[in-house]
Amino acid sequence: MAGPHEILGMSRVLEISTTEFLARYTDHGGTTLRTEEDGRCAFVTPSGCRVHPRRPLVCRLYPLGRTTDETGEERFTLFPRQSDCEAESGRDGTVGRFLESQGVGPYLEWSRRYGELYRRMIGLLDRLDAEGELDAPAEAGGTGPKEGPGRAHLSPWQDIDASLSEYCVAKGLTPPREIDESITLHIRAMEEWLNDLQSGLGLRNARDRF
Amino acid sequence: MGNEKDPKIVSRREILKLAGTAAAFCASFGFLHGNQTGKETVQAKHLQMKWRQAELKWYKGDELLHSTEFPARVLKHLQSDEMSVIEIKWFRNGKLEQSLARLAANR
Repeated sequence: MAGPHEILGMSRVLEISTTEFLARYTDHGGTTLRTEEDGRCAFVTPSGCRVHPRRPLVCRLYPLGRTTDETGEERFTLFPRQSDCEAESGRDGTVGRFLESQGVGPYLEWSRRYGELYRRMIGLLDRLDAEGELDAPAEAGGTGPKEGPGRAHLSPWQDIDASLSEYCVAKGLTPPREIDESITLHIRAMEEWLNDLQSGLGLRNARDRF
Repeated sequence: MGNEKDPKIVSRREILKLAGTAAAFCASFGFLHGNQTGKETVQAKHLQMKWRQAELKWYKGDELLHSTEFPARVLKHLQSDEMSVIEIKWFRNGKLEQSLARLAANR
């Protein structure tokens, strides 16, 4: 699994755009990292991970796994050691110190913020479903990044470079160069997109408007 | 945007984008949606390892007599939850004779 912010980070290490990264290194609609035929990660080489400085959260957490329950309480589990894993391991220290050493903090915060967007999306879809609007006829229009030719992702928002490029053109902004700034702006652009959708849906009491 | 003077119509294309983005986030972040507590909640799963394949094997000594994969429905359940466990129990005429093993992916 790889979120759009993680794809952005890895693409910068490889000095390619997120559009190219998605095409070359992801599967399942741009949501998971492509693996070799034997299941190995495409970025692991004999000399190490090619994207290590910007490796995704699940890689930073390993050998731990993290889940949160419906109350938001987080829980960590320890995976069994893989036979071909050369990483040093031990049981000294604490989970907190391990997470700090792996630079997990910002990734958890981004995950939380994208999780808020996800919660809003599900809320909107639930509302559409309740109103029976998901069976309505199609219409053109809308805001946010457009699906372009050659984009096989589940969502154009997965491609931060392309979606921010369109957003910045529309807003008269200069696309940020720094990764953190780009992620912040990406989240803001998505918030605005959801605000537009929400306000549009708020007016649709009459089905013939849809 | 979004007031009575300027009614905004949400297109089917935008709704598809919304559904696609929700699905993409579900897969790429490991988000799950639930309302078991009566309010909208989002759960996250950040896991590097999952059940990918599970097989049952019968041996006689070192000789493999038979091997079979778990039913797809069972495997799907195992893949959806890293805390899933498998219990192997021996029954005779519907009566539990013995619990042979309890296996967990994260042990």
